[in-house]
Order: sequence, then C-alpha cells, then structure tokens
Amino acid sequence: MATVVLTDLTKRYGAFQALHGASLRIEDGEFIVFVGPSGCGKSTLLRMIAGLESITSGEIRIDGERVNETLARHRGVSMVFQNYALYPHMTAAENMGFGLSNIGTPKAEIETRVGEAARILRIEPLLKRKPHELSGGQRQRVAIGRAIVRKPKVFLFDEPLSNLDAALRVQMRAELARLHQSIGATMIYVTHDQVEAMTMADRIVIMREGHIEQVGAPLDLYRNPRNLFVAGFLGSPKMNFLDGRVKEVSAGRAMVDIGAATPLAVPVGRAIEPGPVTVGIRPEHLRLAPNGSGELAGRVDVVEQLGNSTLLYIDLGGQTQVVAEEGGECPARLGETVRLAVAPAAAHLFDARGEAVARSVS
Amino acid sequence: MSLGAKMQGQSRWFDRVILLVLIGFAVLWLVPVIWIVVMSLKPNDVLMRSTAGFLPIPFTLENYANLLRVSTVPSWLVNSLIVATAMTVLTLVVSSLAGYAFARLDFPGKRIVFVLVLAGLMVPEQAVFIPLHTMFADWGMHNSHAALTMPRVAVPIGVFLMTQFFKAVPRELEEAAELDNASRLTVFWKIMLPLSLPALTTLGLFTFLHAWNDFLWPLVSATETNMYTVTVGLGSIQGNFAQSEGLGSIMASAVFASVPVVLIYLIFQQYIVRGVAMGSTR
Amino acid sequence: MTITTTATPTLAEHPSVVTGRSSAWTAYLFLAPFLLVYLIFLVYPLFKGFWISLHDWELVGGYREYIGFLNYEDLWYDPLFWRTVRNTLTFVALTVPAMTVLALALALGVNRHTRTHGVLRGIFFASSVFSVSVVTLVWQMVLNGDRGLIAHFLRSLGMAPVDFLGHSFWAMPSLVVTTLWWAVGLPMALFLAGLQQIPGELYEAAELDNASRWTVLTKITLPAIRRTVMLVVVLQIVLQFQVFGQALLMTQGGPGDRTRTLVQYIYHTAFRDWQVGYASAMALLLFALMFLASMLQLYIGRRED
Repeated sequence: MATVVLTDLTKRYGAFQALHGASLRIEDGEFIVFVGPSGCGKSTLLRMIAGLESITSGEIRIDGERVNETLARHRGVSMVFQNYALYPHMTAAENMGFGLSNIGTPKAEIETRVGEAARILRIEPLLKRKPHELSGGQRQRVAIGRAIVRKPKVFLFDEPLSNLDAALRVQMRAELARLHQSIGATMIYVTHDQVEAMTMADRIVIMREGHIEQVGAPLDLYRNPRNLFVAGFLGSPKMNFLDGRVKEVSAGRAMVDIGAATPLAVPVGRAIEPGPVTVGIRPEHLRLAPNGSGELAGRVDVVEQLGNSTLLYIDLGGQTQVVAEEGGECPARLGETVRLAVAPAAAHLFDARGEAVARSVS
Repeated sequence: MSLGAKMQGQSRWFDRVILLVLIGFAVLWLVPVIWIVVMSLKPNDVLMRSTAGFLPIPFTLENYANLLRVSTVPSWLVNSLIVATAMTVLTLVVSSLAGYAFARLDFPGKRIVFVLVLAGLMVPEQAVFIPLHTMFADWGMHNSHAALTMPRVAVPIGVFLMTQFFKAVPRELEEAAELDNASRLTVFWKIMLPLSLPALTTLGLFTFLHAWNDFLWPLVSATETNMYTVTVGLGSIQGNFAQSEGLGSIMASAVFASVPVVLIYLIFQQYIVRGVAMGSTR
Repeated sequence: MTITTTATPTLAEHPSVVTGRSSAWTAYLFLAPFLLVYLIFLVYPLFKGFWISLHDWELVGGYREYIGFLNYEDLWYDPLFWRTVRNTLTFVALTVPAMTVLALALALGVNRHTRTHGVLRGIFFASSVFSVSVVTLVWQMVLNGDRGLIAHFLRSLGMAPVDFLGHSFWAMPSLVVTTLWWAVGLPMALFLAGLQQIPGELYEAAELDNASRWTVLTKITLPAIRRTVMLVVVLQIVLQFQVFGQALLMTQGGPGDRTRTLVQYIYHTAFRDWQVGYASAMALLLFALMFLASMLQLYIGRRED
C-alpha cells in the first residue's frame, strides 16, 4: 500500500518528447486510470513508474521514497501486461510463483500465497495448466494472480482488457473493481477506452500528446470538462459542438447566438468578452421539441435504435450535424424535419482557445 | 456441370501421372542405397564373382562382424561421435549466449560487433583452412579432438540464428520477469533458454550433421589413421576399391558409418526440414 | 503503446533502459566465449592467410621468404590454375541449373499433405544427410564400368558398359549426377518453404477464374517464389563452387585433369606440394569470388524487399 507522487516527469526519445512535465499525486489505495488516445504518453508514464523506461527528468516517489534510480524489481510494483506476458513453458502456478521463488521464498509459502490468489480469482482448477491450455479470460486471471501473489505496493495495468472480447471485457471490468475493493491496494490502470475509465476509476487522468489535460473523479470530468479535448473525449456518443457567438453577458448569463431565433442564455461563472465561442451540448441534453418550440431545427439523417435509447443524427444545415439521444420509443422518422430543445443550463461554453468557461459555481 | 466433371477427371489423371513420375524418382534415390546395403550383407567371395542382384543371397553378417573385430572403422566412429558431440554442445552454448546479448542486451559497439560477426558468414572454410593448419601445427595440436572441433565452433551461423530467435520473443516476457525479481542470468536460464528449445534442437541437429560430414578440415588436420573421423576414414579407403577383394566389408563400413546420421534423420526429420525453412528466411 | 513503437524505432534496440545501464558488462560476458573462438579461429586465420600468401612458404621445414604479390602474379601464368577454374566453372554451370530445376520440380510434386507425399519428401531429402565419402563410395560403385549398377543394367539390355568415371566425356557429368543425387534435398526444402507461404486463397481464386494448371504455375506459383529461386541459385553457385570431395575421391581429378577442381588444386598445392603460400593466394582469390557472389545475394535480397 503506498502513495505515488510524480513531480515534473519528462521523457524524451532523441528529438521526440513523449512526456512534458507530468505532476500527479496518487493516494494510497486509489484506483487511478490514465486514459487518452494512442500516442498520448500514458503507457510511457506507466512504464516509467514500473522502472521499465528511464526518466529523462523529474522525480517519482513511491511511498515517499525516491525511486528514479531503483531497478524495476526493487520498486515493489507489479504489472499486468496487455498481452499477459505469461511464461509459456510454465504452468499457471509456476507463473504466479516465479517472482517469489526468485527472492528465495520457501516453497510452502509460495504455495499458500498462490493458492490464496487463485481462490480470489477463482482459477484453482487451472493451476496445473500451461498458458496455451487457457482461454483469454483465464490467462488474464493468471496474469492478475501473478501480480497479486507478490503483494506489491502498487499494481500497474497496461491495457489489460484490450485483447478480450466485448462480453468478457465487461465481466473482467467488474471483477477488477471487486478485486480493488477487496485488497484495497493502489492501482494504476492504463486504457484508451473511456468506458473502462469511467466505470472503474476513483480518479481519471486524461492525457494528450504528453500532457496531462485534466485529473478528477469520473463524473466531475464528465460534468465539468476543462477544455474541448476532455469534453469530446469523455462520453459516448460524443458531445455536440456548435459554433456560437456571445452577444452580451448579464446577470451571470451569457446570451449566445447559435443561429437560432432566440439566443441561448447560458449561466456562466465569470465574465466573458463578447465574441466567438464553441457551445458543447451532450446528446442527452438535446430533446425533440413539439412543433413551433425548440431552438434548433434540422433534418433527421440517421436513426440508430439501440432498444433502450435512440440516437438521432440530425443535419442542421451547412456542415453541422448533431446527435440527440432519445428514449427507446422515438417517433422521429428518417428525412423528417424536427425541432430540438436545448437545456441552457446543460450547455458548455469554450472560448476561442478551447478552454472551458466555468459555469455558475463549481 | 459436365465441363467441371471433365476437368476434374483430367486433373485426377494428371495427378496420377505426376505421382508415378515422383515414385520413379524416389526409386532412383533409393536403389543405390539398397544395393549397397545388400552388398554389405553378401560374402566377399560371392561379390568377387558378381555384384548384381538386389537380394542378399547368400546372406551373411560376416562383414559387420569383421568390421567390429579387426577394422579401425569403430574407432573412427568414436572420433566422429566425440568431435560432433563436442562441436554441437559448444556451438549451442556460445551461440545462445552471444545471440541473447545481440538480441536483448545493450552495450557500446553492439551494431559494429554484430556486423563484424555477420561478415564471418561469408568466409568459406577454404579461405582459412591453410592458416588454421599452420596455427595448429605451431601449437603441436594436430591429430587431436580439440583441433577437429574448435574451428567449426567459430562459424557464426548459430549466433545469427539464435539472435533472430531471441529477437522474436516478446519483450513483455522479459519485462514481466524483471518485475518478478529475475536477474539477467535467471531471465536467460529460466525464460529464454526453455523458450528456445525448438531453435536449439534445430541448430544442434544441423551442427551435428555438419560436424559428422565435415571433410576438408579433418582431412588435413587428422593425419594419423587412428584419429580419422569416419568421413575422412571412408574417403581414405576409396582408391579403386571396386576391384577389391573385400568389397562386402567396404560396403559394410559405409553402412555402419551412416547409421548415426540416418537414425538422427529418421527421428528428427521434421525439425531438420523446418530448420531449412528457418534458415531461408534470413 | 504507439509512442514506443512508431515514434521511436530505435528504442526497439534498447532493453529496459533502467537495467540496461548496468548490463554492458553482463553483455560482454555473454559475448565473450563466442568472440574469443571467433577471433582466434576465424578472424585471425583470415589475416594470417593473407600474410602467408605474400610469402614463398613451405608446409614443412620452416622455409618462408617474403615475396610480395608474386604468388598472385604466378597464378596468372599457371595453366593448371586456369584449367581448374574452367573445370570448376563447367561443374557449376552444369550443376546449378540442373539442381534448381530438379529441386523445383520435386518440390512442386511433393507439395501436398498426404502421407505418400510426406514419405517422398523424406526420401528426396534423406540423401543429403550422408557424408561426401559415403556418397562417393555409393556412386563409384553405381558408375563402375565393370561391376557397377549401370553396367549391369546396360549389359542386360545387350549394350556395352561404360567406365563413366574414367571416360574423358562422361567423368564430369558423372560428378554432376552424383552431386544432384546427394544435395537436391536442401534446395527442395527451400522451395517447399517458399511454396507453403503462398496463400491458399490465391489458388482458390484462380480455380474460380478457370485458370489451367499451366497458367496457375506460370502466373501464380513461379512469380510468388521468385525470391526463393534467386536465393537457391546464388546459394548453389557459392556451394558448388567449393566442389572438392566428389572430384578428389571419385576421379582424383582425372582423366587428364578434366575434373580437377579449384579447391582440389588448392588442397594439393598446399598438402601434396607443400606450397602453402601459393595455395593461400588461390584460397583468397576463391574467397574474393564467393564474397562477390554473397554480395550479389544481399543485393538481390535488398532489391526484392
């Protein structure tokens, strides 16, 4: 159990800078998820914590102790790899016990600890099998078991679910969350899948091009994205972005012209100069409105019926298309012209640099 | 429909012709060997009269009995076994160690050293056998197993193959082992070597066969009859032997000398043929 | 992740950098056994060979006199040297095309997954495991003009037997046939490996396109293994250029030096005539020729990639 503190970490490969000064404090027992598009530096950061990549500058402290120069094996971390990295010539039990046997742990103790981990992961009947005799999900459990057995200070996960099929991924997601609850260790988890991030994390670290964009609890980030990138990255379907123009600000409300008959009155927490802005509206905040009402009008281009909900892709004219999320029984037809109502309180404003304009309080 | 059937009929007929031709070739490949084996099982005086026929009649094991009793062939066979085994073991050890260093360790000058080692692949035996001979002569080491063994261990093909193999092992395995507290030697010994067992088997088989069949170097290095390898020894008895009185014995020597490699081939055929494919991808 | 794989191709050369720092010495320890053997028994002899070739150097007795490049100059005026070069080239010119065609034909024939074809593959490859002296022994018997297998066969047809190995025309083709029988397995296996890499869908598509067997062979199979063909040809040139045992043991270079090969001449010059310096010069010339061939192979490999 340990805290992990990163201070101004950078990573450089020749002329290429993979990480630009990342600073972060990870609390003891926290489940933290690094998420971002591929190439954002999240795996590099994880591997630097593991000791598999050198540190160009900055500092990593695990449990208060500087580990920059500490060999991977002495950092007290364990890692679950994307391709599991199970030793193909060893049985599941041998795979799990390898780390302990390398530090001279007595056989009996290895056996107890492997047995214990196997019980937690429900893989006891599989211990005698070799990796090629296991299914993808079972291999995944053995890999996790190998990490548990060593009782590390910090667990590292590098996209561990990306090789599993969709159903198994959902199941393993829940199991990992359960595992975290039961052993309460610090866990750092890397993924490019925002659903995994949203469902599992205590806090999410969103990264882009070697920068940490925002850190926070999942719903916090969802509700209050700091900028256009975070707003667009979290949430599926993505947040709709409309070009708008602030006409005036009065009484904590910005009057934003989005080409509709009436301007949108968005509550804002700080003064904002009149001028161009981007208006972000999540699909669930766009509602079909009865004829004559609603700020926006457009033609239904695609209807995706998902059963419990319906996604409407609506052309607003010009190049703009928005997605609206409706209930399962949605009357809208393809090609039909519909009107949409926007809840002004749910709209996000982003200034010309893409930074969010803070809403009323928060 | 009928056109398709006709074409199928034609192609089946065509397949049969090809199979027949192939079997014809296979017979050409087998007949000389069978004939030699048959002669080795006939008495020498019968062979003096005629060498024709594919049945060992009259049958005798006398040639083989003589071989074991009076000839030097068994001692040649022992030499070959010692030399080929030593060469195989040494090649596997030095190649896997060096291959691992080239594939996975980082050290200054790695690229240039690797290129220099690869360049050795282009040096044929004929380019070095004369200076090697003078070197071993200076050391007074000719007619020894060490002299027959060492020069071949220097051939870099094994290093090259093992490097290729180790490079293909997923890096994550090693990283996992690193987090599992394994030292370099543990990684090599407990992870990499067990994983490379198929590659080592193939390399070992090829090294053994090459060693067994090596001709030029043992021919110049082993000058004392009792230090001959079987390959050189069998060469030494081939002066117009067809007219010899001991034809059956000579044939028996050839068969006897081939038993180890034929056995190895029969047991490991799959590894050997796959090994050719492995070498071809370089 | 992509950063490590796409943006920084050089990283693949580095193992974990953290441990890499301390492992340079480990790496040298891993390399040491091979490098030691390599330097002593391959690199040093190569240079020593060149040194020897600059001398009038006798095998026994320690007579050695520095003569510069005189040995190389002498080669130019040595008719026997040119004779052996010509013989070797003739052997290569006969063997390599025949070997390539035969190996390819056999590979095409046995490239099927039945038990029979597996056995046939095994038979064609099997002769390669014999040592050269066993092969020459077998074929000296087969080709013997009096008691040989072919002689028996010819006599049964009422024809006069031929002493192939003593015959001024037939001696060389005899060596070629022996070599084909001995060594066809390796190129055949190379071709098989190449053939098995052709995706099966290609043939299924061709079948749907009503392609004849001939069309499939010339338009699909052969183009697909073009690289293997080049590899086999170059490999065979290098290998057959070193022909030695067959000539030494079967014909002793005869009749009348018609089958004396270059390596055989080097061997005799050094170990029968004791002219080690002169032999070394020839050996290095041979090395230079084969080096060129290897370079050609590399060049072809690069261009095809």
